Amino acid sequence: MNVAASMPSAANKLKSTRMAGKLVNDYWEMVWRAKEEGKLVCWYEGSAINPFLEAADIVWVHGEAYSAMLAARHLEGPAQAAAEERGYMKELCSYARTHLGCAVTNQRTRNDTDTGVTGAPDDADIAARLPEPDMIISAYAYCSTGQQWDEMTSRLFGKKIPIFNVSIPWMWASKKDAGYLRGQEWDETSRYVARQLDDMVKFIEERTGKPYPWDRLRELMANVKRASELRLEAMDMCTAHPAPATFFDWVVSIAPINNLPAGPQIVDYFTAVRDEVADRVKNGVGGIGREKYRLFFDGIMNWNKVGWLAEKFARYDAAVVVGRYTHMAFWQEPDLIDARDPVLGMAQNFLICPNNHASPILIELIMDLCKKYEVDGMVIHASRTCRAFTNPQFLIADSASKRLGIQTTMFEGDVTDESFYKDELLNSRVEAMLEAIDQRRLVAA
Amino acid sequence: MKSHVMGIDFGSTTAKVVIIDLDANVVASCVSHMGAVSDEAVKQAVAGALDEAGLTQADMGRTVSTGYGRRMLDIADKNFTEITCHARGAVAMVPEARLVIDIGGQDSKTISVDSNGLVAQFAMNDRCAAGTGKFLEVLARAMEIPLDEMGPLALQAEQELKISSMCATFAETEVISLRAEGNSKPDVLGAVHAAIASRTLGLVSRVGKKGPVVMTGGVARNTAAVHYIEKALGMPIMLPDNPQVAGALGAALIGLDDYRAELADKAGLPEDLGLEDQMMADKPCAPACKGDPVAARAAGGAATGGALDALLAEVGR
Repeated sequence: MNVAASMPSAANKLKSTRMAGKLVNDYWEMVWRAKEEGKLVCWYEGSAINPFLEAADIVWVHGEAYSAMLAARHLEGPAQAAAEERGYMKELCSYARTHLGCAVTNQRTRNDTDTGVTGAPDDADIAARLPEPDMIISAYAYCSTGQQWDEMTSRLFGKKIPIFNVSIPWMWASKKDAGYLRGQEWDETSRYVARQLDDMVKFIEERTGKPYPWDRLRELMANVKRASELRLEAMDMCTAHPAPATFFDWVVSIAPINNLPAGPQIVDYFTAVRDEVADRVKNGVGGIGREKYRLFFDGIMNWNKVGWLAEKFARYDAAVVVGRYTHMAFWQEPDLIDARDPVLGMAQNFLICPNNHASPILIELIMDLCKKYEVDGMVIHASRTCRAFTNPQFLIADSASKRLGIQTTMFEGDVTDESFYKDELLNSRVEAMLEAIDQRRLVAA
Repeated sequence: MKSHVMGIDFGSTTAKVVIIDLDANVVASCVSHMGAVSDEAVKQAVAGALDEAGLTQADMGRTVSTGYGRRMLDIADKNFTEITCHARGAVAMVPEARLVIDIGGQDSKTISVDSNGLVAQFAMNDRCAAGTGKFLEVLARAMEIPLDEMGPLALQAEQELKISSMCATFAETEVISLRAEGNSKPDVLGAVHAAIASRTLGLVSRVGKKGPVVMTGGVARNTAAVHYIEKALGMPIMLPDNPQVAGALGAALIGLDDYRAELADKAGLPEDLGLEDQMMADKPCAPACKGDPVAARAAGGAATGGALDALLAEVGR
């Protein structure tokens, strides 16, 4: 399985996703201008509470999104170094480490004091351009790092920034009537989170000094609901052979559904994506040059390596057709949202973060996806600093193997710290898995 | 027509070469040590094997490579991963094997194989070389003991000590510390091998523990490593005669299947005999081999058979 470096691209990426680049750039420009435009800024992590903020004309900064953006542009180094110098070790979630590094760098820019080994930030260093928050909201499902990350941010800013915490409980699924989107626990926990979101709105009102614009939230959530429906419709079409788009196309599409302004442009974006996917299905065009294998990708994305991995799997003739990160998160249940009264539906979508399920539910959902998309193998990204995602991965691999007879392989990498990724280790494991799939096909033939 | 096939395992610390004839008999093998992925070491191993066999490279009908350096070899016609080659080689050496434990210079792997000798599941060590041959080399230097004496000495351990570090480098620190406390070399070496067994057990659990178990790779020659892994598994381990060359042998066998398929193709033999026809034949041919060595093997036998044997006899193998 020799990969010729000089070959043309084997990944046939969706053209419509190029629109995301402009949408992302416009959004971050908006963020960087926030202070000079006199806008309030909120830093948050985890759950997509941004519509609440956007409705109130507050500029929102999603920590993971900023870290991912830096990593995708290979600009994460200075922020991570600044965080390490401050005392945040490499084993810490690299999303948090990168974002906290931005907070540290922000302080340095203002104070202009001795900056140690990382040096003074360059004016062009976008890690330093993140505007200081006027408020912090923490609404993190499952991950304890995420829940403390906002607390640490608050400390970095001298504990002077008001912080509001939304507790999103873990879904134990231990009651007899428990199941995905059903049962007593689901009903009670949904309402518990919804009540806290109402309290969060009061917090926002205190910060803005204005009554909360509920109509605006309804308008935004109507767009989010429609965008999500279109996204899911396009994803469902990838059950086709060949799959018209891959996991990496959906990764590129995360920003529009997750943290970009929820105006009509996100509906336009996903309409274009859906239409392109439909067109490809009609014409039998695949998301890679030649689809010989269909894979499930478990784990969070290596943001430093999105294009690299897309090309690598395409060269192996492996279409990564589905993944936990893209297909089980980001407004995944739009039917739950009542645009006229969106809070409960929003709370419920926050609760179904794929890391927030007990393993039996999580594994069942993943097995269903593997069957739906007819996968041959599963590649598991064991992200070094994201234990939330890696915790159940051995169980997932075991189930895939025993219940569905799917070949699995695991490789170490990380969310935004490239130093944890080793190309040859991925190569040898994926190649071994594909060889094993070949063997089984020939026996079955 | 060529008379032999070569398999090369271009590993991280050694290069191994196996030459087999068209009946899959091993006629020569050679292991060459090296400091890093080294062209010279491979050339030495190839030359050594050819010399032992009394052959030249031109006599090779197929050359298949495996190991981390598998793509670097110009003389290789094809390359396959170590997982595929070790599974094939181990089952060729021990046909009843269902679990292969391979511990090499810098990596360790467990491979669950089914009754056809095909890979069911596999697991490999992470980036860290703890529990591999490199781990033993580092500690041998630290304890000033020749590498080949570590196993016999470890088997003399009387006291159960523990090395807790998962990192090869920090384990060295622990070893030095244990010796400084007055613990004997055998006892410390016992702890080192118990640590290897513990790491291996973790890999086994990922593919499922089932016997018979065969161990391959250079560390299989370490009697204490085998002993401690058997103890941790609670199962006996079968050792082939030359465990270090299992990968190269597997590569050679895959090459042989490929070469036979090519010969069959050239002879105009039917390529897609149905399974029922093969069962009726005196010696079953591989179905739908179409020049694919894996298919040939997957059908439960190399691409040999009545018609192909006849061809080979005709051309005077």
